[in-house]
Amino acid sequence: MLASFLEGWSIFRQNLLGKIGLVLLIIFALMAVCSYIPPWINPMYNPMTGVDPAITSCTPPSLRHWLGTDFMGRDILSQLLAGARIAFMVGISAAVMSIVLGVSIGMTAGYMGRFVDTLLMRLADMIMVMPTLLVVLLLSAVFGQLSIWTIVLIIALFRWPGVSRIIRGQTLSLKQRPFIEAAKVAGASHFRIIFVHIMPNVLPLAFLFMTFRVTSAIITEAALAFLGFGDPGTVSWGMMLQWVWKTGHMFQAPYWLLPPGICISLITLSFYMLGRAMDEVLDPRLRKEDQTD
Amino acid sequence: MELRRYIARRMIQVIIIFFVILTVLFLLFRWAPGDPVSMMVDPDMTQEDAEILIVQLGLDQPIGVQYFIYIKNFFTGHFGFSFHYGEPVVDIIWNRLPNTILLFTTSIILSAFVGVFLGKIASWHKGKKTDSLMTIGALVTHTLFLPWLALILIWVFGYKFGWFPINGMISEEVWLDPEAGFIARAIDVMYHMVLPLFTLFLIHFGAYLLIMRSSMLETLKEDYILTARAKGLEEKVIRDHHAAPNAALPVVTSVGLSLAFSINGGALTETVFTWPGIGRELVSSVSQNDYPLALACFLMIAGVVLVSNLVVDVLYAYLDPRIRY
Amino acid sequence: MALLEVENVSIGYNTKKGYLKAVEEVSFTLEEGASLGFVGESGCGKTTIGMALMGLLPPNGSVREGRILFEGKNTLRMPDEEIRKIRWRKMAMIFQAAMNALNPVQRVGNQIAEAILIHDSSVGKEEAMGQVETLFELVGIPRDRLRDYPHQYSGGMKQRAVIAMALACHPKLIIADEPTTALDVIVQSQILGEIKDLQKEFNLSIIFISHDISIVADMCKEIGVMYAGQLVEFGPREEVFESPSHPYTKALLSSFPTVTGKKSDLIPIPGETPNLVVPPTGCRFCDRCSGPGPSCKTETPAWVEIGPRHKTLCCRC
Repeated sequence: MLASFLEGWSIFRQNLLGKIGLVLLIIFALMAVCSYIPPWINPMYNPMTGVDPAITSCTPPSLRHWLGTDFMGRDILSQLLAGARIAFMVGISAAVMSIVLGVSIGMTAGYMGRFVDTLLMRLADMIMVMPTLLVVLLLSAVFGQLSIWTIVLIIALFRWPGVSRIIRGQTLSLKQRPFIEAAKVAGASHFRIIFVHIMPNVLPLAFLFMTFRVTSAIITEAALAFLGFGDPGTVSWGMMLQWVWKTGHMFQAPYWLLPPGICISLITLSFYMLGRAMDEVLDPRLRKEDQTD
Repeated sequence: MELRRYIARRMIQVIIIFFVILTVLFLLFRWAPGDPVSMMVDPDMTQEDAEILIVQLGLDQPIGVQYFIYIKNFFTGHFGFSFHYGEPVVDIIWNRLPNTILLFTTSIILSAFVGVFLGKIASWHKGKKTDSLMTIGALVTHTLFLPWLALILIWVFGYKFGWFPINGMISEEVWLDPEAGFIARAIDVMYHMVLPLFTLFLIHFGAYLLIMRSSMLETLKEDYILTARAKGLEEKVIRDHHAAPNAALPVVTSVGLSLAFSINGGALTETVFTWPGIGRELVSSVSQNDYPLALACFLMIAGVVLVSNLVVDVLYAYLDPRIRY
Repeated sequence: MALLEVENVSIGYNTKKGYLKAVEEVSFTLEEGASLGFVGESGCGKTTIGMALMGLLPPNGSVREGRILFEGKNTLRMPDEEIRKIRWRKMAMIFQAAMNALNPVQRVGNQIAEAILIHDSSVGKEEAMGQVETLFELVGIPRDRLRDYPHQYSGGMKQRAVIAMALACHPKLIIADEPTTALDVIVQSQILGEIKDLQKEFNLSIIFISHDISIVADMCKEIGVMYAGQLVEFGPREEVFESPSHPYTKALLSSFPTVTGKKSDLIPIPGETPNLVVPPTGCRFCDRCSGPGPSCKTETPAWVEIGPRHKTLCCRC
């Protein structure tokens, strides 16, 4: 295990984009961690409720407020840091949930075959067609304002089909292998075969997909918040964009408009680059090779 | 012919899925907090009108009967009345639908063609500056946050430079003028379409570029490319006539797979640019609790996605002879 | 003047592991209407020679030294446009794995017509298709299959189509690289028979490349045995077959079973092919030779003439 990890690492290191992605992600992670610092220094830096007594409107960057303040006098930098925290939380939880779902369903479909397989894959097809964002919109119309965790759950529920297809394919090819036959002969139950024998072989692929799931979850939450349907108790980058747009400060406050958008785009980019680099590690065919005869 | 059977099969699939969605939405609205009557009937309506509507929508009947009336209403185009506009929902939908289709279709076609073209060129110059530039450009533009990009474009091109209008689809002066001909009106619409189209284009073309690029690189390794070279064809002819048609097929598949993503983007773009399409109508009807309209908009969008999927699949089947024959 | 004269050609590839010397100082000549076969195990360089003759080496391959004279002109010194004119018109190739040699999204008839149209601007599309029909008749494909796509053809048919394509411009030389490897035995013998007939009918020169010495002996008047990038024996097939002189040729012949003839044990050749990035000094076959001499490991062997056109690269012979 360790040997293959080290080998993977050396291949990863050669990939420039992967390294940049990793560095950027570490910066964002640091931002998320640091989000607890400003309110601790002074309550006026609290992203949601912190109001600087001296300022009650939009101000450009200054020494007190490194990125300036929004229309209510709240510090933009602390909002940005809090947004990083939310982004990771949303992205990773939604990704993990959808991967867990996708892997379980994919393995079950591939292993059980026939009726179960057809049923599950038809379901996957139908869900895949749905535009996640608009579904959440409709649900919030019917059920009222949704909390951030509900949003995360719904995103996960609509994102598993993509993963499950690939995992199902892998399971189908693994099913034929001798070691599965051996396990069956030894009397292992279906459940055991799926989770103890097939799953470890299928996980690396699943991890790869996780990076792409994270980005789509972050973007969906950001778009929702942007439209005004996010959780009003959380400060996310999408929420920040909503505020700057709806309060009409778009044209006057670039220090407010630019940072959240740049952050969303950059975090998406870095996860993508990381995912591509991991793709190269896992799939030998993608590595750069010189041609031999 | 195989193709006809394939199309027929896919169409049946579309109809089935649509029915499932229809049913799920029916159940959803019955499950929601609050009673169905307040969901479908405008509280500001007069008592008589409300009662007529209740009968029409079957809200006073048991749930089984309600379902049939619901389906029947769908086929007769009776979706109730919008709370916000006070008009029949179906009229609003018909009014908005063409606008969405115009923007959506144009943006997909444009990004696909440009993406394929540039991806082909990038694979040509693999490893060199042009390639790196294009690949990085595609990566960066593809990961930009769409609403934010839209805002930036509005700020720079609409506000600062004033080159393009920043909202709506039409300028009233042009359309109210009785002497304005079709061409003048068409140009007006196109003028308004530039920024939203550009936003959608920028976000989407990158993905197609990257796919075409790697697809070309794979295709160029194939044996039949060697054959083409052995026949004495020029490199340019080989790339354009032999490699590119094969390499473009995965891009078509990818367009189909990303349709849901594209329609999300479409709705966001319409909202930011106040382009009067169905996406924007969905967003605003949800925030105004205009349930009948929201429901119908969602159904229509689902329909658009399903039909687009069908179109893409048929197109692929037509382009790849291995499927057709 | 011989149709093809290959003089002391060495070819190598730049790989991650170093410069691979795939072909080393190979020389031979081929007259018009003659047939020559190259036989050897995989990696011995026979396909590389075929590619080099057509000018189709991959980007990391190059001819390090030597000349390839086709109709008296050195193809290695020709500019691209000139080579393109020769390709297919004078020299055509039947590739290994015809399965993938045809473009899957183009109709077979069109692909073959394309070859005709490029090289003869006076021919129109209609006429070209007419010629393709004649070619199909020649190779035994029904005319109504012209407008089909490659995936609709069976393996044997695809091979025939590829042969028809090679003949499209009536070339003088055809290089056939393992044309029947992927086919079953019955179709294989049919196709080989057809190739022989076509060769006689059009007075074609053929270079036949295979790992199967029995096919080569059947098809070609002269045989060249290749090992580790070198031509180790060359001569008329009767002589090479009946009285082989190089130890490798002898070993190769005895590792093939015969249907008729005495039943004897097959003797495989022990060992592995040498590393071509750092080839051994002296004779490259020495490590696997059944009877090496004292100087075989240190001296580079030289050509020994055994008969009028029969030579071998061995110190002991």
